[in-house]
Amino acid sequence: MTLFIQQLFNGLALGGVYCLAAIGLTLVFGVLRIPNLAHGSLYMLGAYMTYFFLTAIGVPYIAAIGMAAIVLAIVGVLLERVVFHPLRNSPHTHHMIAAVGAMFFFQALAQVIWGADFRRMDSPFSESVSIAGAQISWQRIIIIVTAVIVLSLLAWFIKRSIHGQTIEAVEQDRTGASLAGISPNTVSMLTFALAAALATIAAGLVAPINLLSPTMGAALDLKIFAIIILGGLGSIPGAIAGGFLLAMAEVMTSTYVSSAVGEAIAFVVLVLVLAIRPTGLFAKAVQR
Amino acid sequence: MLLEVRGLGKQFGGLNAVKDVDLDVAEGEITAIIGPNGAGKSTFFNLLSGFYRPTSGSVVFKGQDITAKKPYRTVREGIARTFQTTHLFEDSTVLDNVLSGRIVRSRSTVFGAVLQTPGFRREERLNLDKAREALEFTGIADFADELAGEVPQEVQKRVALAIALATEPELLLLDEPAGGITEEETTRFGELIRRTAARGITVCLVEHKMSMIMSLADRILVLDHGQTIAFGTPDEIKRDPKVIEAYLGADDEEED
Repeated sequence: MTLFIQQLFNGLALGGVYCLAAIGLTLVFGVLRIPNLAHGSLYMLGAYMTYFFLTAIGVPYIAAIGMAAIVLAIVGVLLERVVFHPLRNSPHTHHMIAAVGAMFFFQALAQVIWGADFRRMDSPFSESVSIAGAQISWQRIIIIVTAVIVLSLLAWFIKRSIHGQTIEAVEQDRTGASLAGISPNTVSMLTFALAAALATIAAGLVAPINLLSPTMGAALDLKIFAIIILGGLGSIPGAIAGGFLLAMAEVMTSTYVSSAVGEAIAFVVLVLVLAIRPTGLFAKAVQR
Repeated sequence: MLLEVRGLGKQFGGLNAVKDVDLDVAEGEITAIIGPNGAGKSTFFNLLSGFYRPTSGSVVFKGQDITAKKPYRTVREGIARTFQTTHLFEDSTVLDNVLSGRIVRSRSTVFGAVLQTPGFRREERLNLDKAREALEFTGIADFADELAGEVPQEVQKRVALAIALATEPELLLLDEPAGGITEEETTRFGELIRRTAARGITVCLVEHKMSMIMSLADRILVLDHGQTIAFGTPDEIKRDPKVIEAYLGADDEEED
């Protein structure tokens, strides 16, 4: 029972990280119809920027994540302007090739600045707390709480604020949004900024638990693609449900079966979804 | 003049889809653009509203050059349009669809929304009032809470008009508003367009249904092969031999 509670919290923390990272990917897909393979690289850069603000500048942990998120939001806007915007009228394969190119560029950039070796970021919250006999580290609790706060703010932003509603409008019908006087360009930039900032928050939260390396984004890319396909491409509730489902499946199979199966579970889930319900759990109507 | 179009043209490769078209639209008038299929009517509309970039000529709206401005810009300037195939947000309610037209007239910021400032809430109420008023005006208030993708086609056409009206346009461009709807609904829609014009909104429309045009329009522009062949009142157009040859003669086959 203690082991189960321990793993439940691990699963929730991992799920929170997956959600934050996957929502950005699904938003970008919903608005621009681009499978942004460079999304994991933004996450990786976000982790390094947090590390930079924490160690080189010496700001407190939460502030470091916030500042890194702002920097990455700007990187996200630049990625949209410089790479994807000029390709807006090209065939879809060009976007994918460009995204892979951006991914390699970001990886190489991180390697030049920080080196190829692993780096460790110490958690400012090293204590742990005992819940029903299980030892839960404060870092995991911080992850869960932050993820819940950020996800609620995001849901509120998209549903209630005018800027958020423009995102939903462009997702549903690009031409219709133009007719209502909404600029698809502004929305594209806003979406990329939001996606990169969310990925950075995810990365900053998980960095003290995992190690930093220039390729840390590639492993995440596979997982979050599995998540948004599981949840339904472009669906935010789908990304949230998918994120927690996959994290739980991963943690529980690692504990009760073997860690090798835990690593593979994402792909088992992916294959099952594609075979049984290819539109995902929360299917959205595909844009005409 | 509210709208002054001079020498407007659009080439696709070597083909002149629209060539050297002039048009003056006075405030409060209803102007119809007619012509056989492929005459360039829709292309002409797309040039006015910024969906296409003209290859020649100019569009001046309220004394301001708006040639080749992007569609979301022209909406801000006060030109709203609808498409023959409606572009609604089908997974949202009819009310939310109409509210989307209010975004362009809203000034509120993210901070206003977070802090729920009085200004933000006032604007939110105003937007809701304007959207409800547009729903009432277009006669679809009963459908407000239904998903736009699930209401009948006639209602969808009215939703598109309500969105356009919610942006508070001075000029309304309607692309085949009566396309694909019944004769009876066409009459009612014509009445709705007349009431829209009576509110002081200038209307330009592309339409195939001649009966509707003749009773509705103050002036008619006739295009054929992308060029103007006639411009005048419905009575003048009916008598114009060039029009009879190019359009009305072919009309009988087309209506079937």
